[in-house]
Amino acid sequence: MSPALRRRENISGYLFLLPSLVFFVGFVVIPMIMCVVTSFYDANMNLNTPDVFIGFGNYVELWQDPVFIKALVNTFIIVGVSVPFVCAFSLWVASVIYKMREGLLSFFRIVFYLPVVTGSVAVTVVWKWMYNNYYGIFNHLLKGAGIIDSNINWLGDPKYALWCIIIILLTTSVGQPIVLYVSALSNVDQSLVEAAEVDGATNFQVFWRIKWRQIMPTTLYILVITTINSFQCFALIQLLTSGGPNYATETVMYYIYYTAFKLYRFGYGNAMGVILAIFIGLLSALQFRLAKEK
Amino acid sequence: MSEVKLVGIKKIYDNNVTAVHDFNLEIKDKEFIVLVGPSGCGKSTTLRMVAGLEEISDGQLYIDGRLVNDVAPKDRDIAMVFQSYALYPHMTVYDNMAFALKLRKTPKAEIDKKVREVAEILDITSYLSRKPKALSGGQRQRVAIGRAMVRDPKVFLMDEPLSNLDAKLRNQMRAEIIKLRQRINTTFMYVTHDQTEAMTLGDRIVIMKDGFVNQIGTPKEVFNKPVNLFVAGFIGMPVMNFFDNCKLLKENGVYFAEIRGVRFELSPFQQAALKQNGAESCEIVCGIRPQHITVGEGELTGRVEVSEMLGSEYNIHAVSGEDNVVMVIPTVGLETDVSMGATVNFTTMPELIQLFDKKSGNNLIWFDKESAEKNHPVCKSYDSL
Repeated sequence: MSPALRRRENISGYLFLLPSLVFFVGFVVIPMIMCVVTSFYDANMNLNTPDVFIGFGNYVELWQDPVFIKALVNTFIIVGVSVPFVCAFSLWVASVIYKMREGLLSFFRIVFYLPVVTGSVAVTVVWKWMYNNYYGIFNHLLKGAGIIDSNINWLGDPKYALWCIIIILLTTSVGQPIVLYVSALSNVDQSLVEAAEVDGATNFQVFWRIKWRQIMPTTLYILVITTINSFQCFALIQLLTSGGPNYATETVMYYIYYTAFKLYRFGYGNAMGVILAIFIGLLSALQFRLAKEK
Repeated sequence: MSEVKLVGIKKIYDNNVTAVHDFNLEIKDKEFIVLVGPSGCGKSTTLRMVAGLEEISDGQLYIDGRLVNDVAPKDRDIAMVFQSYALYPHMTVYDNMAFALKLRKTPKAEIDKKVREVAEILDITSYLSRKPKALSGGQRQRVAIGRAMVRDPKVFLMDEPLSNLDAKLRNQMRAEIIKLRQRINTTFMYVTHDQTEAMTLGDRIVIMKDGFVNQIGTPKEVFNKPVNLFVAGFIGMPVMNFFDNCKLLKENGVYFAEIRGVRFELSPFQQAALKQNGAESCEIVCGIRPQHITVGEGELTGRVEVSEMLGSEYNIHAVSGEDNVVMVIPTVGLETDVSMGATVNFTTMPELIQLFDKKSGNNLIWFDKESAEKNHPVCKSYDSL
């Protein structure tokens, strides 16, 4: 290809990219930079009172803020529970259903994917009803079975509230990983499985030494997206508990929202955002590293 | 000792499609058997049933006298080389070859010794630390064979192992397999759709079509004594010429084959065989191999359409009446004009003419229905072929 022709092709390529590039830069790159920049300011977005540069002031304050520490611990509990559970559970379900005939497989796909496509408000309202202190189904069932004597205030008791949130998060998080695992397991080269069987591998050995290695890229993707989703758990908190009772369900994401949009401390909120992004980045990098070593 | 015996083996899939009909075969210890046939003939399915990767719908499979119908692949003491090589992509060549031995908890030192020994034989020692993706097709093929070899299996199964290689490499690897076979001296079952591979590798060849065994014999037998039109057309390169609308004539107890009005008095052997079979005058299809045609003499004529000079011989494609005829003629001493458009006379020796019944397609000389039914009852279905 001549240089002139190549140049012409490059120009038209960039022109095609331009609309999405403008959107990406305007709504993703610039806000990210602004977020980092304003995290060094005492910013309140009020045009009458200019932002004051305070250096690492917001970052220092964060580690002295007990609510932020509590939110960080809660967030790590959510991530620590949901990531391994979602991966293990979705892999188990997928490995059971992926060989089923098409109709049955589609049925299970729908069952597990339904909470993902259903609006989070609708899902949350149903769960709120199930967790209800007076007429919720859980209290009804547990009392009926004689496990509890009096009703439990699931979302109002600091002992249970976070776990209730985690349970909802799990039901809405397993759908996509199951679909991904079903597809990954179906795509494992059957001749590798057969070769291992002929070589003398048991079913478990075939899974662990062949299939598991083949679906590793999917596992890595699931780990990363589940980690990010868990770190960013917000809608459930906002709709069910608003971080309460007594910050028992406070997460970093919700605290960012609360600080920035309720208290108008944008600089402080953005500093939390930066810290959250660093944690997500570190954890994802660690997952990539471990997967690569395997 | 590693004999394999297939008795009335059938494969019927869930959708009621029968992939293999009543397959009967006794493979002797250290014999190299090749299953050959077009795509969908059931040869790979048969091999996979022997491997235990496919359930046997009916019949019995014995390996070394033990009924193995319900025995898992890992307990059959077989090794298999797959068409796609099926090398574990996340393992090095060494680990691929050592995998089966590790699963059997073989001591490390012994694994190392065996892997290196086999790698030496296959000339892949320098690739032992590489992953399969860093190897060429031929090298991968060697690793796949090596992986099977380290196990010293009773039976070596190969499912079209050369079909993913280019022509040159395929020829090379074919020679390697012949050498390998002499070295490891075990029982082989080899599946291919390439009749050249079948002819060059097999002690005996099983020719299949539509799930039926058509003929079992040595390469020489299936080439010289094809039992029906399918076998005659499948084995041999270029394929056998078939002349439609020929006649078998019996006059005063003497048999003649009439091709396009030209009579050939059949050889004493053919006369005797036809007499024994009680053949009468009838319409037949005559088959003549391209290598068995002589040009420049005889009464049959053909117009040359394409003339391919291949160095030591000519491949001549001619039209004789309604029939297309291919002739392979040595270039040395050729005095006839075989250029495009030329008309050539040609003939053959009567004993080289194959006579097929027009209705059933069976060879009037070589098809022995009684023996065929005894050895592989599927031949009953020849009438419908």
